[in-house]
Amino acid sequence: MASVTQPGARTGGFRISKRVLPYVLSLPALLVCIGILIPFFTAVIYSFQRYRLSQPWARQFNWGENYLNFFTDPGFWNTLRISLVYAGVTVGLELLLGLGIALLLQRRTTVNNFISIMLLLPLMTAPALAALMWKLMTNPGFGILSYFASLVGLENFRWASSPDTALLTVVLVDIWVYTPFIMILLLAGLRSLPTQPFEAAALDGVPRTFVFFRITLPMLTPYILTATLFRLLDSIQQFDIIYAMTQGGPGDTLTVFQVEAYLNFFQSTNVGRSAALLIILWAITYILSNVFIKNWLRLRERARGEA
Amino acid sequence: MYDKEKDLISAFLRGEVDRRGLLKGLGAAGLTAGTAGTLFNMMSTQALAADFDWKAHSGKSLKLLLNKHPYADAMIANLQTFKDLTGIEVTYDVFPEDVYFDKVTAALSSSSSEYDAFMTGAYMTWTYGPAGWITDLNEWIKDPSKTNPQYGWDDFLPGVKASCAWNGQPGGALGSEDAKQWCIPWGYEQNNLSYNKEMFDKVGVSVPKNLDELLVTAAKLTKDVGGGVYGIGVRGSRSWATIHPGFLSGYANFGQKDLNVSADGKLSAAMNTPESKAFHAKWVQMIQESGPKDWSTYTWYQVGTDLGAGASAMIYDADILGYFMNGGDNKMAGKLAYAPFAANPAATAPTPNIWIWSLSMSNFSKDKDATWYFLQWATGLEHAIFGATKMDFVNPVRASVWKDEIFRERLNKSYPGYVEMHDISAPGAKIHFTAQPLFFDLTTEWAATLQKMVAKEVPVDEGLDKLAESINRQLAEAGLG
Amino acid sequence: METMSPLERILRGIALTLVVIFFMFPIVWIFLMSFQTNETILRIPPSVIFTPTLDNYAALITGKLTTAAGTLDIAFMRNLGNSVFLSVASVALALVLGVPAAYAFARHKFRGSEDIAFTLLSFRFAPPLLVLLPLTQYFQWLGLSNTYFGLIWVYQLICLPLILWIVRGYFEDISADVEYAYRIAGHSWFSTFRKIALPLAGPGIAAAGLLAFIFAWNNFVFALVLASADKQPVTVGALAFVTASGIQYGQIAAAIVLSITPTLALALYAQRYLVEGLSLGAVKG
Repeated sequence: MASVTQPGARTGGFRISKRVLPYVLSLPALLVCIGILIPFFTAVIYSFQRYRLSQPWARQFNWGENYLNFFTDPGFWNTLRISLVYAGVTVGLELLLGLGIALLLQRRTTVNNFISIMLLLPLMTAPALAALMWKLMTNPGFGILSYFASLVGLENFRWASSPDTALLTVVLVDIWVYTPFIMILLLAGLRSLPTQPFEAAALDGVPRTFVFFRITLPMLTPYILTATLFRLLDSIQQFDIIYAMTQGGPGDTLTVFQVEAYLNFFQSTNVGRSAALLIILWAITYILSNVFIKNWLRLRERARGEA
Repeated sequence: MYDKEKDLISAFLRGEVDRRGLLKGLGAAGLTAGTAGTLFNMMSTQALAADFDWKAHSGKSLKLLLNKHPYADAMIANLQTFKDLTGIEVTYDVFPEDVYFDKVTAALSSSSSEYDAFMTGAYMTWTYGPAGWITDLNEWIKDPSKTNPQYGWDDFLPGVKASCAWNGQPGGALGSEDAKQWCIPWGYEQNNLSYNKEMFDKVGVSVPKNLDELLVTAAKLTKDVGGGVYGIGVRGSRSWATIHPGFLSGYANFGQKDLNVSADGKLSAAMNTPESKAFHAKWVQMIQESGPKDWSTYTWYQVGTDLGAGASAMIYDADILGYFMNGGDNKMAGKLAYAPFAANPAATAPTPNIWIWSLSMSNFSKDKDATWYFLQWATGLEHAIFGATKMDFVNPVRASVWKDEIFRERLNKSYPGYVEMHDISAPGAKIHFTAQPLFFDLTTEWAATLQKMVAKEVPVDEGLDKLAESINRQLAEAGLG
Repeated sequence: METMSPLERILRGIALTLVVIFFMFPIVWIFLMSFQTNETILRIPPSVIFTPTLDNYAALITGKLTTAAGTLDIAFMRNLGNSVFLSVASVALALVLGVPAAYAFARHKFRGSEDIAFTLLSFRFAPPLLVLLPLTQYFQWLGLSNTYFGLIWVYQLICLPLILWIVRGYFEDISADVEYAYRIAGHSWFSTFRKIALPLAGPGIAAAGLLAFIFAWNNFVFALVLASADKQPVTVGALAFVTASGIQYGQIAAAIVLSITPTLALALYAQRYLVEGLSLGAVKG
């Protein structure tokens, strides 16, 4: 346990008191990150300004007007809705799929180990490049997937270029890239579960579904939470895949937060609105991560108590 | 050594011998093309140097920000000439076009002094100028001590030159008396038809003369060419780039505008008129019937690649895009032809909207005088001739290059109808947008609206009314409406 | 578990095959594409019969790209080098800073420790653009724009929280008893950390480092905004094949293949640590 009393820390020739030591160890990491985080506060200030790069003379504080405008701006509500839908759908599907694959690969055989490493390949493909790959494969002329679609009778399947299927297509790419991330975390979890409860259940002839829902799933919960947390927070901030595939189109189908903010900054040079959008996104992720980490810590404590 | 040849080149540079005479003479003297080129550059350098101190900034160094483009390639191929001429060292960063303008915005918005000059389009200067990122170049152009006497500012095509000048007032006319020259035109594009002659002949259609004919022709091509070929390629991505080529060229031909400017300088949306709605309806119908299946992702690249690969029968887009697709290892190389296009049957001539690749000077440049040396060389006649005849530097922005016999002949030989197309549509060619700081907001939303119309998510009338309403709201919010 | 009916065996086999096809097919297809010319790629319908060519790779490696509008210079190998350098340096720095901090959080409950740990993790979740946009200004003032140093610093936002979080969990899961015994024997704190704690946490550190490497390698927007052309990674460099005079599909495919290779090699090398490292690591409750 962490609270063991320890003799005064001694490093080489000089002594660091044990009270100071942890700070000495952790502060460099904190400082490095905080240095980078100073711009965060600048962005907060921007978000309270009327600030367009193309109208520098009109720059002034408008205290919250950028935020108030969101209430009457259908574009904003669309952004909020599509971001949440995107995050929910991708993480949900990836979790199911990742869990399924992890269960298939649970046994430590050479074949399974080899497959699990191969399945990591998509994760190693940069999302920006993965989007490029899928664009090539879904091209209506020479794209192999469009060809397959036409073979099964979907002659005019338009993938990312139709508002009906654009979300489906980017979700597919997201699933392709990130399911391996969830899979590898859950596989690690499955393989580290203690064996006794399962052996006991097998001896008692407990049905497999019961074992899965009552033993495997609860014991796996911390892993699922961690995987979900990391993925959810990344997914709600998705940029690379959507920007590379459709730039937020067709229409306003995929204008998620970071895409909208990027276009606001780089094309419209409307810094105020861009910053306000990002602050709202930050608030959402902060609240989400808080909820998750609290739960995670509680689970961890409980696991420790039981051990 | 080479004395006779040097005399001949000097004579050419003085204007006593024309270009063909020069090359013929050099050929007779047994010079290889390569040597002739070197000699020519050497002599041009001497001629340029005759009455202007090109060495005034010798030893300095400049850095450029360039887009990956044939214009940049042509300049880089000739850059040694500039270095020899001035003694100025030049380095450059080249970025792919997908991210190029974001990179420019990132560099300039942080007041970076990294780059002295960069490539831009006129539309972008409507942001960069008021933001204080670029310099009004009039100060240099009009100063004889800084600009070489042979620069020939009057040689630039007037419509193109004016399109790069704006007084900074939202809605202010381009090229007005009080306009600031935010950039120098380098090369430009008109939007007309480039078509696959073989496919047209096969199906037995002639070049359409107006929008209605275009719809019919494109539909017939889609139906009859076969092999999945579609009738007409136009851009469709959610971006300003969808609005400015064929779409706005045709739109302007009907006398329609993006914005109205009132007497007191207030702006309001102008795209919900009955004429505009009729035009939009036809345009949308054309894409639905005869456009590419994934039109809403189409940018310059897809429109061009399809034409070059024989997947589309024609495009209503930049003339130089059709030009590129007629060469290299494109499947359809040599099979393309060109025609001017006036969408309005009542119009007397085409009114293509234009895109102008230009050069701007960064306001954060540490040495503006030296930067101007580069700009006047890169936009000068010598380099324009070099680019137009040896590289793919089309379309040139100088009248005298268009008069160059070698250039015209080269185009006429491999690009049927190109020169004629240019000459017919050039008088009506200019930027048809209203210059104002919300240009990108307006055009991005316009493109998104078009996408919704094509996907039948919203009817044309309603879509345009909503668009106008939204634009007016944004204009008011920005204090412009 | 040990008993599996033949039917279940078959179903499992089918499911696994489908999974492998879904995840591997795009990679295989792009791999095939990288050996084709634009002409064969653009055939309708697509076909797997073609004469393989190494031209795409040759163009990338020599840096000469032939297009409709003549020969272009490309710096793909330089982009690749930048990716390697930026990722390795960033992960190395993150390990140097993150592992001791993780150790501190795991072994010492000190005032504010949870707050500091949470703050560090929350950096992982700040929208990158939010930080990036004002950062261009600050980097300009500090003279850090367009330096590897500045980039590596920003990359810490990706690498450091990840390493900290995973390695911390790993330290917490290995008993402190061994360390304690070693300390009692009169060894210094530092030598305990170096000789006992670090080796025991090896797999966790390796797994965290590998994941951080992957995320650093895949980053796109940081370098794009903050650095000039000679410091761009492959993710930006691969866009260079989309040129005004045409799209070089074959070269894009070859570029993607080359850009996956280094991470794949690393993952194959470190595979035995990956699952093991993660299973004992932070993800466990």
